[in-house]
Amino acid sequence: MADFPLNIDVVVIAALAPILGVTVFWFLQLIFIEIQKRLLSRLRHHHEAFCRFTNYIGIFFQTICQALGYTVTRSGISSFQVTVNYGKVEPKKEKEGVFEWIVRSFLLFGPFFIPAGLVLLVSYGVIGRGFSFPSLVHYTFVESLTGFWASLSTYGTEFVRFLINIDLLNPLHVGFVFVLLFFGLGIRPSYIGQERKEKIDILHDLIHIKDHLLEKPLYLLVIVLLLYLFYILSLFLNPAVYIGLFVIFGWMSLTAIIAILLTYPLLLLIWATDAIQPQWKIVPFITIPVSYIGSRVFFIYYPTNELERVSLLVMFLSTILVTIALIKYKRTNRFKTATKMKHVRVADGKKGTSKK
Amino acid sequence: MVKKELLKNEQVERILSPHPLSFMKLQTLCIFVIVWGIVVWWLTEFSEYAGMFSGNAWYPLILWGLVLLLVGVIASLVAIQWTIFFLYLGVFLSAIGLIFWQHWQNDIPLFIFIYSIAVSIVGFLIVELYRRSHKYVITNLRIIFKGGIFTKRERTIRYDKIADIDAKQGVLGQIFGFGTIIPVSQSGFGLGSDKTMAAGGVAVGGTKARLFGFAGGGKEVQTPIARSYYELHGVYPYKDVKQLVEDLVQSHVPTQYQQEQVEFQKQQVDIQTQMRDLLHKQVSDKPRKKMVRQPVEEEEEPEEEEAVERVPRKKMVPPEEGFQSEQVDIQQQMKDLLKKQKTARVNPPEEEEVEEEEAEEETEENEKGKEGS
Repeated sequence: MADFPLNIDVVVIAALAPILGVTVFWFLQLIFIEIQKRLLSRLRHHHEAFCRFTNYIGIFFQTICQALGYTVTRSGISSFQVTVNYGKVEPKKEKEGVFEWIVRSFLLFGPFFIPAGLVLLVSYGVIGRGFSFPSLVHYTFVESLTGFWASLSTYGTEFVRFLINIDLLNPLHVGFVFVLLFFGLGIRPSYIGQERKEKIDILHDLIHIKDHLLEKPLYLLVIVLLLYLFYILSLFLNPAVYIGLFVIFGWMSLTAIIAILLTYPLLLLIWATDAIQPQWKIVPFITIPVSYIGSRVFFIYYPTNELERVSLLVMFLSTILVTIALIKYKRTNRFKTATKMKHVRVADGKKGTSKK
Repeated sequence: MVKKELLKNEQVERILSPHPLSFMKLQTLCIFVIVWGIVVWWLTEFSEYAGMFSGNAWYPLILWGLVLLLVGVIASLVAIQWTIFFLYLGVFLSAIGLIFWQHWQNDIPLFIFIYSIAVSIVGFLIVELYRRSHKYVITNLRIIFKGGIFTKRERTIRYDKIADIDAKQGVLGQIFGFGTIIPVSQSGFGLGSDKTMAAGGVAVGGTKARLFGFAGGGKEVQTPIARSYYELHGVYPYKDVKQLVEDLVQSHVPTQYQQEQVEFQKQQVDIQTQMRDLLHKQVSDKPRKKMVRQPVEEEEEPEEEEAVERVPRKKMVPPEEGFQSEQVDIQQQMKDLLKKQKTARVNPPEEEEVEEEEAEEETEENEKGKEGS
């Protein structure tokens, strides 16, 4: 049994440290999601199918979360439907009160954590060393926060190290990148519509969550009390258990942030290629594998210790350079129609509008 | 489509082909071959497990082939199409044949890599060729389906023969906006069945006594299913095409009201035909002061029935008496007819205007005939 001093910091404030940490990371996740949503909204006009695809992933996870809520509350699932426009889950038994509240909580919070949790499971296979729980000496607010941060920073460092040294000729690594991109595009609860709407705004999600939590303050209080009870128990049994629980949520948020960040270059590349003439649009995308494989082949003859890292750098740089060059020299002619009409008018010898 | 193939008054509404991604099931077979080939090459040459395959040169081929066939069996069971398994078996056997023929036993991993890519490319080309062989022509009268690489198949279905429309859109279809529409004909063309079979074996006993039991079961489900050249497979834009087909079918299928109208008009035509015959006879018999024939309901001998088919059975009555009773009958029938016509005119549909006008013309003629008589 652990020995701990009886003061306000240990008994009350320290319990808030991991909650604060998770909240901060969750807010960061929300901000990155918001940036992704706005990027996707910009792409919507030219890349309808791509946006539908991302919507489908998002809606799929959202619907899964709702179904999970019904399963947990033992309501059962009578119908489950996912389309690119909406997801629909119907329970076998309509339960009210706390069960309804739990289902709604799953629906609101699930999309932020459940896909990230799946990526976390997959990532354990490639970065197993990064998963380390904190070992505390004293139960204080600062110690708790430090322990929480240490666990997350170890995990984050290992994850980034893996990404920097990733071997794109290794099918497992390539598969993991695809998983990250796939989930990264779907870790968001909102649907990206045809026109910009309020509902895709970050505030929309937050207002919904706030309303949900304040709708039943008693339930919230019960959850807080349960957590506090768990904290007090962990003080007596194993000091790291309480923080460990929140560390898992922190890892999920961090994984989600990394996955979302990885989608940015892809979305930016798609957005940049819109400025290139259609027949040249494919070139930046071809440059990615060609430059990487070319670089790897080059380093077979001129070996280096930083083979993967340098090849990755070459890939990024050549893709950026090729894209910039194409935007500069092969820019699409947005006023093509207007120019043609002008020629027609000149040829007809009419100063007015062309014939209707 | 050549204009010669069109019928009289037929106009082409739309010419369609399947979407490039609509044959993804077939393309996935090629994608799996290419991915698995690369994985085996990497696994046996570059991975940390490469040492496991150094004992025997045939290990990579055995691994590659076993997984390929296993996936083939699973895919065949799921898709209920054993062609997939035999296709993969053919690919595997061809690989073995090539290795023996060209003596590539020492470079099997590299051979698998190159062979997988080559086979996949050929597969993709065949799928694309197959896709391009499809053509669907939607005209104002019918839908024409064409397809097949070597054997050209064609199906034509008229809109009035379509009993039901089945439409489906998968995930890829929802993303890219394509889908499949199966027009099920009244004869059931476009309906198929999915069969599932389950079997299990049990071995009980020790070294001497063995008991083997086998249990099996099957289930058949009727479902709209057709070959890609007998349905509107993966057409784009799905929603527009579906709407167009449904509109065309709707415009060719008579509604309940229309059916009633047609039935009523048939009755009218029958009555009017009878009336004309009677009026004609009445006019032609009027000057005579002889006995005339009057329709009665009494049965007569069969010889007389055969002689006069459409004219009702008649009996000899005095001329003036017969003439008057005929007039009364005709007028009664006319009244009935006019009553029916009036009830039909209560809510006349726009589509039926022409037919009604025709009916009115006929009635007017009858009335003129009555006045004349």
